[in-house]
Amino acid sequence: MMLMNLPKAFSLLGDYSEPYAWFPESASSFSEINDSLYYWITITCMVFFVPIVIALFYFAVKYNKPKGTKAESNVAHNTVLEVTWSIVPSFFLVGMFIFGAKAFLEMRDVPDGANEINVQAFKWGWTIDYGSGVFHPELHILKDEPVKLSMRSTDVIHSLYIPAFRAKKDIVPGRYNYMWFKPTVASEKVSDEELAAAIKQTKDLGESWNFDEHQFTPDGYRFYDLYCAEYCGTNHSEMQTVVVVHETLEDLNAWIKQYSKRDASVPPAEYGEKLYKNRGCAGCHSIDGTKRVGPSFAELYGRPEEMITGDKINADENYIRESILYPKAQVVAGYQPVMPSYKGQLSDDDIYSLIEYMKTLAKDGGAAK
Amino acid sequence: MSSGSLPKGSVIRDPGYPTASENYLTNSKGALSWIFTLDHKRIGVMYLIGVTVSFAFAGLLALLIRLHLFLPEGMIFKGAEANNYYNQVFTLHGAVMVFLFIIPSIPAALGNFLVPVMLGAKDVAFPRLNLTSFYLWCIGAIFFIAALFSTGLDTGWTFYTPYSTTTDTSVIAATMGAFILGFSSIFTGLNFIVTINTMRPPGMTWFRMPLFLWATYSTSIIQVLATPVLGITLLLLIAERTMHIGIFDPEFNGDPVTYQHFFWFYSHPAVYIMILPAFGVISDLISVHSHKRIFGYRFIAYSSIAIALLGFLVWGHHMFTAGMSPLTTIIFSALTFTVSVPSAIKVFNWIATMYKGSISLTTPMCFAIAFIFLFTIGGLTGLHLGTLATDQHLHDTYFVVAHFHYVMVGGTLIAFLGGVFHWWPKLFGKMYSEWGGRLAAVIIFIGFNLTFLPQFVLGSRGMPRRYATYDPEFAFLHQMSTYGALTLGIGLVIALVVLLASLVRGKRAPANPWGGATLEWHCTSPPPFYNFERAPVVGDPYDFSNVEWDQENERYVSTEPERKLAPEESPKSVPAHADGGH
Repeated sequence: MMLMNLPKAFSLLGDYSEPYAWFPESASSFSEINDSLYYWITITCMVFFVPIVIALFYFAVKYNKPKGTKAESNVAHNTVLEVTWSIVPSFFLVGMFIFGAKAFLEMRDVPDGANEINVQAFKWGWTIDYGSGVFHPELHILKDEPVKLSMRSTDVIHSLYIPAFRAKKDIVPGRYNYMWFKPTVASEKVSDEELAAAIKQTKDLGESWNFDEHQFTPDGYRFYDLYCAEYCGTNHSEMQTVVVVHETLEDLNAWIKQYSKRDASVPPAEYGEKLYKNRGCAGCHSIDGTKRVGPSFAELYGRPEEMITGDKINADENYIRESILYPKAQVVAGYQPVMPSYKGQLSDDDIYSLIEYMKTLAKDGGAAK
Repeated sequence: MSSGSLPKGSVIRDPGYPTASENYLTNSKGALSWIFTLDHKRIGVMYLIGVTVSFAFAGLLALLIRLHLFLPEGMIFKGAEANNYYNQVFTLHGAVMVFLFIIPSIPAALGNFLVPVMLGAKDVAFPRLNLTSFYLWCIGAIFFIAALFSTGLDTGWTFYTPYSTTTDTSVIAATMGAFILGFSSIFTGLNFIVTINTMRPPGMTWFRMPLFLWATYSTSIIQVLATPVLGITLLLLIAERTMHIGIFDPEFNGDPVTYQHFFWFYSHPAVYIMILPAFGVISDLISVHSHKRIFGYRFIAYSSIAIALLGFLVWGHHMFTAGMSPLTTIIFSALTFTVSVPSAIKVFNWIATMYKGSISLTTPMCFAIAFIFLFTIGGLTGLHLGTLATDQHLHDTYFVVAHFHYVMVGGTLIAFLGGVFHWWPKLFGKMYSEWGGRLAAVIIFIGFNLTFLPQFVLGSRGMPRRYATYDPEFAFLHQMSTYGALTLGIGLVIALVVLLASLVRGKRAPANPWGGATLEWHCTSPPPFYNFERAPVVGDPYDFSNVEWDQENERYVSTEPERKLAPEESPKSVPAHADGGH
């Protein structure tokens, strides 16, 4: 029982906004057992470490003798003592192993009826599949409902890590890895004024949404960080997204609905811009001309581009479509063939919308071509 | 003598100072006499220079990393290629530190110099193989530098597939470098095993060997058994990259986790290649500077062998989050805990050795104390990572970074420094400034803790490793860490200056400045070309009862009972048996 109370004793240290915090906020069913195990191991370590260090420094001072003085004792061994200090720590180790393994098995054992969500990791972003054609980089889930993530990678090894849930699993290309967790704390929604101010500020600056600065999503939810924890190349440190925990199913469904297929009333270019932000394009392709992993979309449409094969190809509708579906077929000179294929992930209308959006970024709106 | 306490009826045994022709440093001159030398001591010195240069280089890269991370958005590398630069710098830092410094530092540099001398042998068993291994090390180093100056390397020192089979950086040059360094390591290990097995002089039984030799022996076993696996793995990696044979790359039906199994089957035992020799150094340092018999000699010796063997069974703990089957994961967790017992035994033994000793707080002793403090933290935090549930949270975060730096830097580097200061008078025949050495030890200790303690907190709070930029809430701890790294850097520079200054203005070192009882203190400082003028008398390496302080000459001397020679009578003119006595 005392064990369970320990985290509370440290609760002052547990505040996320405080620079001295020991843990991120605790927001899943794994957090409590994980943190108590952590504290228990740490305290056990202290029980050994503190006497060792006291003895170390005390002896160093107490038995500090002038040169040439003989040692007071020359006992070479003491079997009872030596056997004792070999065996006693073993009991603690067995304890750590058993409790650790038990909690681990729980983390691997998916409860019946867990909601299944497909996750795709790629260099350097995330696509969460909400079914019926809704994809989004943010992970939105429901409070107190176990979630199973089925994860795959299109290129190298990634690792999905949510510190607030104390959960992590590598995503190895060529196989499906899974993980599950049960979020216990719902994300708050910020006030409409605050959200409006942040949206306005972002628009005025002409930048993409700054999660670090606002600490809420463009939809106005507070969030938990989701990191890629396995080194995956150039923009590994930017392969982050957010987790939002919804209080009710209605709220979650309402959020998903916003990102469902394009409504006939929404112009394709506007929807294309949304896709550009949500489907990971923004990670590699800028819209202001700066060179990132892939060519910038600014003034790209209709421009003749030199390929690594030496051919010159106009970046027209057909070329862009081909690049989305078969990105390795014709690569622009100066870039690596690293883009994952979006075949089967973007509908014809999605691709059309993206191309329409790219036309708006061309100098003359793409009208001349 | 101190207070004229020479026991009655005993004589002083002291080899005095070597003449220029005896001294291994001066007995032959010119660059060629070094380039083609077969003397294990000169090869050891060349290694020492090599690993120090590598360490300085990799240390500067570490400072670049820390300075870059001073600000969340990155301070040093800017622009479109910033992340690429950062990735290459941390990769090169890791690869150079591990392959060119930590693995060869104690076994190849100190080991080459000390193993034959401590054993009482003239040289290692295969002197030419020894020189070959040094030049292989140089060639391996050249491959690493070549990788740097061509297209860089951005895979991390672990070369994980499929990233390493698809990135366009110089993976092949770097893996070839590591492959060649592997041979260097195997040759050194082989040489030590044969030397220790066959070249012990009369009287040098296994249990009269100093613990440094036990540690070197267990290390050599790992080097010989594990390194070939790395060699094969790296060749397979190169084959995968060039010919797409489909072992590691899922695009050709390979499995990336297979690579991790292969890689860690070498690289986890390699962690013990890094730390076991350090245990050996510390065992000797603690005993000599406490002037007390090492406590539990046999337990320490056996625990070295136990660690070497158990070290082969625990590689899977690097893959607790890779998605192995739960049963495999649990077995690896259980095995992992077994390694901590022999490590704990050593710490208890060292403390017990200090108890009721006669401790001199010399520079090597300061490093030894720092080692016990830091290694204990490094070892204990391994428990958080060996425990399956907590590892799920801590894996691949800064907690791991802090843990292995406490073991490798706080352990191996500190032991290496302690060893260098301890044997420096023997290596070069010069005494360094004690004051300067202790100052360096204290600054290194403080700087080290300031660098890596905050990283435990960073990791617990969820900061992933290998990030070029990070979320602003982590900035405070990163900045502490950067200040620590600068302090650590200053401490290391002081240590270097103290040692180099001693070569110019240091006092001449006596044969036995610390009062050690192992054989290397029985020859002159620096040792003669063949180490000993005549076969040394082998005794208990930790028996300090005959070691006395000579105040007048500021040195320790060994006393031994005066042996009565047979009376010098001229024999009877005719031997008794010559004519039957009549």
